[in-house]
Amino acid sequence: MRTLRKNWQFHVMLIPAMILLILFSFIPMGGIVMAFQDYKPWLHISGSEWVGLDNFRYLFEREDSMQVIWNTLIIAVLKMIFNLLVPFIFAIMLNEVRKLAVQRTIQTLVYLPHFLSWVILGGILLDLLSTDGFVNQILGSFGVQPIFFLGDNNWFRFTVILTDIWKEFGYNTIVFLAALAGINPSLYEAAEIDGANRWKQTRFITMPSLIPMVVVVGTLALGNVLNAGFDQIFNLYNPLVYQKGDIIDTFVYRTAIQNGEMGFGTAIGLFKSAISMVLILVSYQLAKKWAGYRIF
Amino acid sequence: MKTKKMLPLLGMSVLLASSIAGCSGNNNAAGGNNASGNAANTKAETENAYKDKYDPEVTITTVWGVDPELKFKNGETIENNVSTKWAKEKFGINIKSLWSITDTNGAFGTKLRLAMSSGQEMPDVVTIGTGDATIAQDLIDSGMYREVGTLFDQYASATWKEAMAQDPNVWNQYSRNGKKMGLPVLDYAYNHDYILWIRQDWLDKLNMKAPTTIDELEKVMDAFKNQNPDGLAPDKVIPLSIGFKTSMNTWMGDPSWIFGAYGTLPQQWNVAADGKLEYGSVNAGMKQGLEKLKDWLAKGYIPQEAALWDENKTSEPAVAGTAGIIPGPYWMSGWPLQDTVKNVPDAVWAPINIPAGPDGTVMRHGTQFTNGVTLISTKMKNPEAFFTYENYLYDNFANPQPGSELDNGLFAGYDYELDASGKMVANDQISGGYVNSVRYLLVRDGARIPDAQMKALLNLANGAQPTTRLEKDVAVNYGKGTPAAAKVLLQQEDKSFKNMFTGPTTETMKAKLDYLNKIENQTFNEIIYGKQPLDSFDSFVTTWNAGGGEQITKEVNEWYDSVK
Amino acid sequence: MYYKTRGYRVFSVLNTCFLIILAVMCIIPLVHVLAVSFSAKSAADANLVGLWPKQFSVEAYKKTIDNPVFLHSIWISVKRTVLGTALTLLITFLAAYPLSKENSAFKGRTIYSWLFVFTMVFNGGMIPFYIVIQKLGLMNSFWVLVLPGAVNTFLIILMLNFFRGVPKELEEAALIDGANHFRTLFSIYLPISLPSIATIALFSMVFHWNSWFDGLLYMNNSDKFPLATFLQTVIIQRDMSSMSINPKEMELISQTTVRAAQIFIGAAPILLVYPFLQKYFVKGMTLGSVKE
Repeated sequence: MRTLRKNWQFHVMLIPAMILLILFSFIPMGGIVMAFQDYKPWLHISGSEWVGLDNFRYLFEREDSMQVIWNTLIIAVLKMIFNLLVPFIFAIMLNEVRKLAVQRTIQTLVYLPHFLSWVILGGILLDLLSTDGFVNQILGSFGVQPIFFLGDNNWFRFTVILTDIWKEFGYNTIVFLAALAGINPSLYEAAEIDGANRWKQTRFITMPSLIPMVVVVGTLALGNVLNAGFDQIFNLYNPLVYQKGDIIDTFVYRTAIQNGEMGFGTAIGLFKSAISMVLILVSYQLAKKWAGYRIF
Repeated sequence: MKTKKMLPLLGMSVLLASSIAGCSGNNNAAGGNNASGNAANTKAETENAYKDKYDPEVTITTVWGVDPELKFKNGETIENNVSTKWAKEKFGINIKSLWSITDTNGAFGTKLRLAMSSGQEMPDVVTIGTGDATIAQDLIDSGMYREVGTLFDQYASATWKEAMAQDPNVWNQYSRNGKKMGLPVLDYAYNHDYILWIRQDWLDKLNMKAPTTIDELEKVMDAFKNQNPDGLAPDKVIPLSIGFKTSMNTWMGDPSWIFGAYGTLPQQWNVAADGKLEYGSVNAGMKQGLEKLKDWLAKGYIPQEAALWDENKTSEPAVAGTAGIIPGPYWMSGWPLQDTVKNVPDAVWAPINIPAGPDGTVMRHGTQFTNGVTLISTKMKNPEAFFTYENYLYDNFANPQPGSELDNGLFAGYDYELDASGKMVANDQISGGYVNSVRYLLVRDGARIPDAQMKALLNLANGAQPTTRLEKDVAVNYGKGTPAAAKVLLQQEDKSFKNMFTGPTTETMKAKLDYLNKIENQTFNEIIYGKQPLDSFDSFVTTWNAGGGEQITKEVNEWYDSVK
Repeated sequence: MYYKTRGYRVFSVLNTCFLIILAVMCIIPLVHVLAVSFSAKSAADANLVGLWPKQFSVEAYKKTIDNPVFLHSIWISVKRTVLGTALTLLITFLAAYPLSKENSAFKGRTIYSWLFVFTMVFNGGMIPFYIVIQKLGLMNSFWVLVLPGAVNTFLIILMLNFFRGVPKELEEAALIDGANHFRTLFSIYLPISLPSIATIALFSMVFHWNSWFDGLLYMNNSDKFPLATFLQTVIIQRDMSSMSINPKEMELISQTTVRAAQIFIGAAPILLVYPFLQKYFVKGMTLGSVKE
């Protein structure tokens, strides 16, 4: 009671968020039980047949299950890593552009692709990346043989990851730019007096200041560890690259969403969430233990 | 630890949510009881319940999946418009909308499922397109929608019955144990049966004739590519524009006829020599077709990235004037090919027959005569009212004779307009703009008689002046070249083969079909692209059969025997 | 000064050039969309347009401007974005403050945090959510676009991490002066958190501007659609094989150039917001105010 009296203001501050969470997150979470049902819309949750783990079994018993899960993991993890690394480096490089107008213009331009949907970009990339397209013409002028970026199993994942980074890095940079804005300028002034060159300043002041943000964004990104980007893959994949490009979400779309198999769809969702939760727990503990830093 | 603390809350939320779901479930069960009561009542009332106009008014509830392109004028909405007013005044039928949704990304099907899940009131009458076939099957299985065959026999008008009789198979998809559970929505026949469109100006300049066999086709393609009449460099020409991204059996840029030349149509169920249904993609003829495609890809006759091309992409080089041949519907001269001349002024597209294989075989896929279903609720008190409405449309709108009431169109000032002298004005000159008010009707497109449009086109092709509404419509809306193309299409009328399996998804299909489709697409494309040898087709057939295909074939044939 | 050294100057030039090339690569698709929107339909349908309009035409823009549904949907999007962002900012700001405290200062902090994270990872799916929306009477209501998305765990966690960077001395001084936590939050934290608030606001705006599925599912009529939902109905290719269609309708559907114009006009407002917000990212702003 004493702590409540002391902290009542904190609790009050959290009330609006908690009300909305209960209404729109916790109550609907009851639907998770559908993962264990052969859900039929007209029977509702209360009347649908319980099937235990059948829905999960189907995910793992298909001949191509492992391939699909592996594709998902590799694409998602690589995207996660590079979507942290590239914006991080880009933010630092942008920080070195001394003309404010130039800096802001670049910043604005790289943020544009985020606003085009994959449906549109898919059509554009089909042309840009075709064997006689713009990209191959440029590579050709360096003597490179035409590459079938979207139709070759050896290149498809690379293409998917690269185009995703290209679309999102400008947008992902924003959070690092905000963090850069929070660095105390007197740190640099002191370093300058100590005779540290710019690289040393970057290495010992700028980068360490950004690291907490990298850890936070990285940990939260783990929530998407099994989301390899449905919209993108769905618009780019084709029969030639099923082997390396089919992911859990496209597979669920074809089998569950299109056929209205809600139970199966929920089961896959639950599976993905559970894996993400475990990974977030682990990285939270690691950050706490090694860096003494609570991410949230 | 923390997880432990969270558990009670999670448990609580599960309870809460299932209590919500429970409530709605109960509501529905109660509704179900009412329904059986109503059904009994209806039986007693149906003696001469059918009227041309109802007084007092009857109400039909419905839901709408609104096409994103559908326009409204005069501040109207799908719930309240010229068509609902018309139904009220003309028949005493009050059409009440429970909800509507703009139908994109399958939103209508999703919303129907959610409405069912949440125990919302379900509509008396609902029309569902083939795109949402699974939800239609779900609704039939739910028991909320009634058997309609007897209603149809009792109430449907002669015109409607004749139209429905043009292909008795249209009922199959919506039958359960011999009971007809949904009214098929009829559509014009042959709408997506394709022909080949070829650059006649190129043929003329090369002094070549339209190809009639696959061999001749190869010579033409080679000439288009290597001695291009417009002087295009070989690598800029696409002699035959086709694509495989979505399917090998589609509506534009379709390659299925190439397999047809060797006696099979992929990705559909065909009647085999023994009278049983056979999955076209595992027929031995596929191998020869794949070999041809592989060869054509290597020679550059088809797009180098055909595996990445969907239907619309295949039309791009055709419109740009760099493609020589494109397979597609007979109405393609109205869209998109009419634009080719704007890019290449000399271009002339001509429709030609599908070329034959070495033994003279020609096959192409045929369009079903139906494109959806209308379901009638068990709770509906006056199901005959729906027939009053639809009969009228069949008798007066589907193919009216000159001078009848709906001869000019449905609603003046909406989908047609007459000027002061009584002549019809062009659509784009209707005051306030043209809107396709036919789509405001309870059944998509109102009422269509499968062969009516083709008959109208043939009359025009034979030089008749347009007199009936349909003739005028195709003359105005389908482009100048269309009647001639329709005639070409019908020259091979007996070469169109429909997918013979239209039943609900079978048990094994649910578990296995996606994987089987995946390896099929993968194998075929990899063979064409030379990443797998041609013989891997044989191992694909073995895998397909062992991986559930054999069982599916059995189930499909059981279904076929039940409807035959 | 370091930037006067020769090495740094060489680096600076190379660096700037590289970034400019990168920036140019990023705008190619948008330039293409823009070029298509100013081209004639026949050229666009034939995919003949590259980065410069072919057969220049402003027809597509005329048609777009003439479409009342399109214009109205922009208004709904603006409303949704402004209201939604304001609400999200308030909730995020309030929630992040207590969560940024040490465990010793606020017992129960960790439970709250994990509750938030839990909802970020797990969800019950579409069906129960739909039922809740229906029972709350939010169906077909503008608020369905604003309320459910108002709590965004990602933003709250970002904010709380920004808050941790605020010097403790400031808060302590305020509390000693007798200010309660609400006063501290609004009079001390608010003014020095402008860069982070700008970041959160931007993310929230973009989220609202781009969300389309809620509009589609919960709104009956297209006259209540936000812009993103409207655009979605335009850009998605439909499966023509399952619908009977005639060439006249196909022509209506496949308006490549109009589509491009709509995409461009639709993206313009949110693109313009960014340069405006940039001025809050000025280096040292946070600490600058501390010194005073």
